[in-house]
Amino acid sequence: MIGWVSGLGAALIGLLETLGGLAILAVRIVRSMSPRTLDGRETWRAFYKVGVKSYAIVVMTALFTGAIMVIQAGQFVSKAGATSFVGWAAGFAVLAEIGPVLIGLMFSGRVGANNTAELGTMVVTEQVDALRALAIEPLGYLVAPRVLAMVVMLFLLTALGDLFALFGGGVTSELLLGIPFRVFAQQVIEANLTSEYLLGLVKGSVFGFSIAVVSCYFGLGVKGGAAGVGRAVNNAVVLAAIGIFVTDLAVGLLWNLL
Amino acid sequence: MSQLYAFGRALALLRDTWKWTFRGSLRRQSKVFARQLYEVGNRSLLFITVTLGVLGTISVFQVLLQVERILPEFSVVGPAFIQTMIREFAPTIAGLIIATRVGSGIAAEIGSMVVTEQVDALRLCNANPVDYLVAPRFWACVIQNVLLTVYGGLVGICAGACVAHYAWQISWGSFFSLSLVGFPDVISGLLKATAYGMAIPIAAAQAGLETTGGSEGVGAATTRAVVNASFAVVVLDFLLSGFSFLFLFGNP
Repeated sequence: MIGWVSGLGAALIGLLETLGGLAILAVRIVRSMSPRTLDGRETWRAFYKVGVKSYAIVVMTALFTGAIMVIQAGQFVSKAGATSFVGWAAGFAVLAEIGPVLIGLMFSGRVGANNTAELGTMVVTEQVDALRALAIEPLGYLVAPRVLAMVVMLFLLTALGDLFALFGGGVTSELLLGIPFRVFAQQVIEANLTSEYLLGLVKGSVFGFSIAVVSCYFGLGVKGGAAGVGRAVNNAVVLAAIGIFVTDLAVGLLWNLL
Repeated sequence: MSQLYAFGRALALLRDTWKWTFRGSLRRQSKVFARQLYEVGNRSLLFITVTLGVLGTISVFQVLLQVERILPEFSVVGPAFIQTMIREFAPTIAGLIIATRVGSGIAAEIGSMVVTEQVDALRLCNANPVDYLVAPRFWACVIQNVLLTVYGGLVGICAGACVAHYAWQISWGSFFSLSLVGFPDVISGLLKATAYGMAIPIAAAQAGLETTGGSEGVGAATTRAVVNASFAVVVLDFLLSGFSFLFLFGNP
């Protein structure tokens, strides 16, 4: 009994420590992010690595996401015969909820994990200490450009990915449901989903920030060689996924209540 | 092209895993197998509870906000939500969650074994890494992914029901209606869960076994494992949804 209680307490303290560390890191990153201190070349490189390199996987995920949503909506349609419902249902689900979440999860696996591994390797091989020895603040030089790149790029990737998802949905509705692509597109446009699209974009940038902070936190906290890097990446993707779902709930509630 | 080769190597790994299973790998490695069942299943419970609970909450919330404007009453929301959850969201979201947690865990573990030459040591002792490392993880993942999907679906449905009941005063009875759920829906969901459970450990173990270099290599392998496993889940979801739509649910 005592062992169980102390285990619970230890888990709780560990959780609070992580959350506190994340909050402090987030504040310090935002503070160090002024145009004066941001290294131009490092920022440009981060934009390329974060955005361009994950473009292909995001587009593929989005295409399949749209297709899956149309198949799921189509099941209700062929029973009830309400064909005009497909464009609205699939569009709504993709733009407001599933699109940003799936793109965010994919982005977290591709970019967040990569970022933790990279920073972790730098910590383990003492490159971060070398930066400090050269009087370069690692937070401003290494971390701030990556965080900025992740926020901007996940926003842009969500904006593009949503459109690819609708395209994938249109193709599927033509091939599988027999609803022509034009009709599907018309339904999506008539459903007037601008506010859902904007909600998805807001979600995208919030996910980008939370993925960035979580991955940098675990990357900078690596201890103990190659096994430590692997463990850090594992922890980072788990917490980033939880972060995506929790912020998804928070943003969704705030958006609808305000 | 290199992606095609990697896919072929994954299929070869899958074949080897089955081969070693039929040669009694699980019986010989029963301790590792039991440990992996615990690692994959019990230690993902909290993670699955949080994510699927949030997913159920937010989906019912957003759907009801929309339905409120169109339909006069909500009796169709519960059954339709439960059906979609069983067919689609419980298996796929649980699969993605397991892909990130377990996939990265397997790759990190096997990858650091490769880097520290423990896998070579296994080969020196005439123990096959697939037999010793991959097969127990594979079957643990298959079994636990199905169980976690069932559990996650229940959590999501209950979270959604709470939103419907407390925020929209929909009675429990009209929400928890299985009128739309049929045998094909359950089959479709379980089929997806089983397929994801097989794809995730193979993608992760392949990334782990192909690790090169030091700590940098382990990081890269873990990243590759998460991406490949999640992408496998999305593609399999598309294929199995299409298959169920055409053949299980009796659509034209």
